[in-house]
Amino acid sequence: MTALNERDSALTRRTKPARPGQSRRPHGSLLLFLFPAVALVGVLLILPFLFTIYRSFFRDNGFSRSWVGLENYTTLLTDDIFVRSVLNTGMWTAGTLLLPVLLGLLIAVGTNSVRWGPIARFAIVLPYALSGAVTALLWNFMLQTDGATNALLSALGLSALERPWLLEWPMNTIVMIIATTWQATGASMILFLVGLQAIPAETIEAGRVDGAGGFRLFRSIVLPQLRPISVVVVGISLVNSLKTFDIVWLLTRGGPGTSSETLALTMYRQTFTLSRYGYGAAVAVILTVIVLVASWTYLRRQLRAN
Amino acid sequence: MARRVRDVLLIGMALLWLIPTYLVIVNASTAAADYAGPRWWFSSWGFFDNLATAFETADIGRAMWNSLLYSTGAALIAVFVAALASFAVVIMPVKRPAMWFWAIYTGTLLPLQVFLSPLFNGYANTTLYDTQYGMLLIYAAIAIPFAFFVIRNYMTTAPREMMEAAQLDGASWIAMFVRVHLPLARGALLAAFLFQFLATWNDLLFGITLSTSPNVRPLMAALAELNGQYAGLGPPVILAAGLVASVPTVVLFLSFQRFFVNALRLTP
Repeated sequence: MTALNERDSALTRRTKPARPGQSRRPHGSLLLFLFPAVALVGVLLILPFLFTIYRSFFRDNGFSRSWVGLENYTTLLTDDIFVRSVLNTGMWTAGTLLLPVLLGLLIAVGTNSVRWGPIARFAIVLPYALSGAVTALLWNFMLQTDGATNALLSALGLSALERPWLLEWPMNTIVMIIATTWQATGASMILFLVGLQAIPAETIEAGRVDGAGGFRLFRSIVLPQLRPISVVVVGISLVNSLKTFDIVWLLTRGGPGTSSETLALTMYRQTFTLSRYGYGAAVAVILTVIVLVASWTYLRRQLRAN
Repeated sequence: MARRVRDVLLIGMALLWLIPTYLVIVNASTAAADYAGPRWWFSSWGFFDNLATAFETADIGRAMWNSLLYSTGAALIAVFVAALASFAVVIMPVKRPAMWFWAIYTGTLLPLQVFLSPLFNGYANTTLYDTQYGMLLIYAAIAIPFAFFVIRNYMTTAPREMMEAAQLDGASWIAMFVRVHLPLARGALLAAFLFQFLATWNDLLFGITLSTSPNVRPLMAALAELNGQYAGLGPPVILAAGLVASVPTVVLFLSFQRFFVNALRLTP
């Protein structure tokens, strides 16, 4: 805290002279305006973040702590559970970039100009308004071995397709990605719809006059116009998928065993179930690096391309 | 022909999307005693009895009240604090505004997992663990960076002349903030409030990490317990509780759809 105060006063001392027509100096007020946000974020978010990095270099069981350098990180690389967790996280990222984004785009384009569009869109958006935990309760009911999906298959005479959805890898991860698709498609659909409605009617008309129709019109006129909004949709989807936690925690707790764990769950189990604070911290740091590198790389490429 | 295929596909998809919701409503309404495997049609009416069971056994009512308190409180604090900081960074002659922007905004880029264990230890050492005050504090802190981002973006578009007119009046910074900039940024304040209200309402991670007793625990943590520890109550009870837990988010989301969309579009 004192370091923060010193920085604040050092900052105000070097403040530019006030602009013309302005006799007040901002010293006290600046502190008043900036301090609450910086203090809350600094103490409750930035400090814990730095401490997590620091802790990842120790073997730490909550009672005693000994320096091990990079050992936690090197152990992770040879830990099968961690490798599986990275693989699952990769599946989540690929799956939620592919399904909700693509379906959202198709539904937005398909329903944009038809009369019954709003009704169809309402069906898609409704799940998005539910919270993640409620979605998980619902899909737990659907996917349990004695749940609704199997009962439905059996009622339709498709007993051969029945299976213990949540108990086998990789099926458990795949069905959870589908459950997330059910919830998240509405969000990307809304955003694409906004993008579509911003396309000038003349642009579409010009394409029609040039003889483009159907798929060609979509590919060479509509899609390029949707580029800015796609950057937003894909960016949000990318970051969210890397941080997947709630639905997996509620549907499988990462199990059976640790087979459906994502990085976020591995961190949670190592830290709070096994009390391996140093090891858990190393997982958290790796997750952070992946999130930051992925969003930075993606945004930089997209912004340059624009 | 192609158009007809498209229509059939889209309508099929919309219907497919409605199946889980429909099944949940049907099964949440089935009397728990009658439940023997998933139902396809309404056959008995026990929704309110199911709800009563959930409220009594897992204290869902108390958890809803807690979540209402955290969501409203944390969102209000975060929006106010973020508005103050946005004003400082955008309007006041701060040295290096970009540095202050990143100092606050960084919080929203990091995954929540990276804060968890130090927060848990810190809370345990300062008796904030498992208190409403502690929950409110972390929810407010985690909400500030994004609220700041939305409000700051909005303030950078505030008309310069209006601001200068207020300055010539000899108004103090505080008066300028309260009389000119807060009212001007009304839309951004509301959007940020709604976003953070929903984010807090939906939070599971901090709820299961930093609280444990029914008096403090937020709704999503209580639902997780209902789904795990009390799974024996059966699907009708759990689904009824889940449906009621979604009412605030569904209502807020559907009534303010435009707002969310417009606020999201400010993101780069």
